[in-house]
Amino acid sequence: MDGLLPAIRLIFIHFSGGKMETTEKMPQRPSLLPGVDASKWPWWAIALALLGLAVSSLIVGSSNYRETFIYLLDGIATTLRITLLSFVFATILGLMTGLARVSKNVFFFNLATLYVEMIRGIPLIVLIIYIAFGVVPALVEILNGMGIPVSIRDWPMEVRAIVALAIGYGAYEGEVFRAGIQSISKGQMEAAKSLGMNYLQAMRFVILPQAVRRVLPPLGNDFISLLKDSSLVTVLAVNELTQLGRLRRASTFRFLETFNVVAFLYLSMTLLLSSAVRWLENKMKIQE
Amino acid sequence: MKKTLSLFSLIIILSLALAACGGGQATGGTGSGTAQEGLPDLGGKTITIAVENAYPPFNSIDEASGQGVGWDYDAVNEICKRINCVPDYKQAAWDGIFPAMAANEYDVLADGVTYTEERAQTVAFSIPYVTVGQVLLTRANETRDVETFKSDASALVGTQIGTTNAIVAESTFPDKSIQAFEDFGAAVLALISGDIDGVVIDNVTASGYMGENEGKLKIAGQITSDEQLAFVFPPGSDLVAPFNAALEAMKADGTLDSLNKKWGLTD
Repeated sequence: MDGLLPAIRLIFIHFSGGKMETTEKMPQRPSLLPGVDASKWPWWAIALALLGLAVSSLIVGSSNYRETFIYLLDGIATTLRITLLSFVFATILGLMTGLARVSKNVFFFNLATLYVEMIRGIPLIVLIIYIAFGVVPALVEILNGMGIPVSIRDWPMEVRAIVALAIGYGAYEGEVFRAGIQSISKGQMEAAKSLGMNYLQAMRFVILPQAVRRVLPPLGNDFISLLKDSSLVTVLAVNELTQLGRLRRASTFRFLETFNVVAFLYLSMTLLLSSAVRWLENKMKIQE
Repeated sequence: MKKTLSLFSLIIILSLALAACGGGQATGGTGSGTAQEGLPDLGGKTITIAVENAYPPFNSIDEASGQGVGWDYDAVNEICKRINCVPDYKQAAWDGIFPAMAANEYDVLADGVTYTEERAQTVAFSIPYVTVGQVLLTRANETRDVETFKSDASALVGTQIGTTNAIVAESTFPDKSIQAFEDFGAAVLALISGDIDGVVIDNVTASGYMGENEGKLKIAGQITSDEQLAFVFPPGSDLVAPFNAALEAMKADGTLDSLNKKWGLTD
């Protein structure tokens, strides 16, 4: 091997007419551990892992941390539940919105565009408060006025939070799906139509399967973002992770312990989910 | 390079200007120049007073004038007249106010704060200026009372996060999941719309909200009657003694009594 490199160099110099500058690397000092290149290691992951190990050992070792951790475990279930349900509804809403935004139907196109522009213009926390304290009670009153016996208790705060998050994120997913659909070359639709499919069949069998694979990265991204935005529903007094953290802090006066554990739990959830999303992406990788 | 540099400096100047704009709301009048006879003189010093502005009758925003009004504003203005200081009111959120006070972020917290021994370990308190009780605030057409609430599983109770009301609610209704909102405004909103059936709240604040929502609310029952309210200071603050002296003087000449009556703290 060692004899080959100088030979290749000579060949290069010969073929470049001898004009090759001596820009080759200076001979490296032999490394302590041959074959180990520390600059290529994922230092960010190692740092995070060490941090996680530190907090875990605190949780196991210190009674304050352990009690806080046990208290906050219920919050994890609620947070995950809210995130998953909101994301499912947001994706469905987004798919419909995306399709409407590329359709030639005047009504659907305008309705979808109105929805997207309006919802993207309102901050998520304002939307959550608006829907929970304004829209839902008004809706209940209207329905009661029309004679339909609904009680506001049928819509607990958690349900309203899920609805608000779904509506808020549906607008963004709509744009994501639209981008995915529009990224499929026109030739696909033309080919599908030439095979005798109508618009809906072409969408369902040809365009959408390809588009969905394309939008998985941004969709996964939004899922993780939604996990963190679920903390906004603390303003509705829903007992998810952030709310439990605040309650704990208020009753124990221990700020650092409580929020270290809350941050640790959120980070663990998002890192787990982002690895799951990466795995899904790899599984559905486009072999083009 | 020149263009990026000028853009960068423009952004810095703008952010500095914005930072300078932030700050307090109403500032009390200018210092009178001298303190009352026999009371410590702070020499016209400006002190920052943290208020929530969401807690009538202690501090709230008057709808008509847009200014902060309430017992706290009147009382602190009166105290500062007596000990020669200038109050600078700053709006702060209730959640996180105790860590903020412990970290010396404000000189005084005036928000109808109940004295508890646990809180006294992290912050300093003045002498109490009034004793209030906690009540269960309900809609006007509510037929259940406090005892019935305890046994009725469908009766939901709310309060504000991090208050002694939350602590009392947890102990009075141990079987219920207490909904802790950001502030009492949100809790009362939930009460009126039917999301919850009762709010555990100080009796004076209950009257404050009943006044704001004529005819919609009523007090269903008394829960406690021994809450001592006081001003809060950072631990080791040197304002505690002057404030206490001023409060004693106000108690002696009846000013405190008339203030309490004016804002409905006592009958």
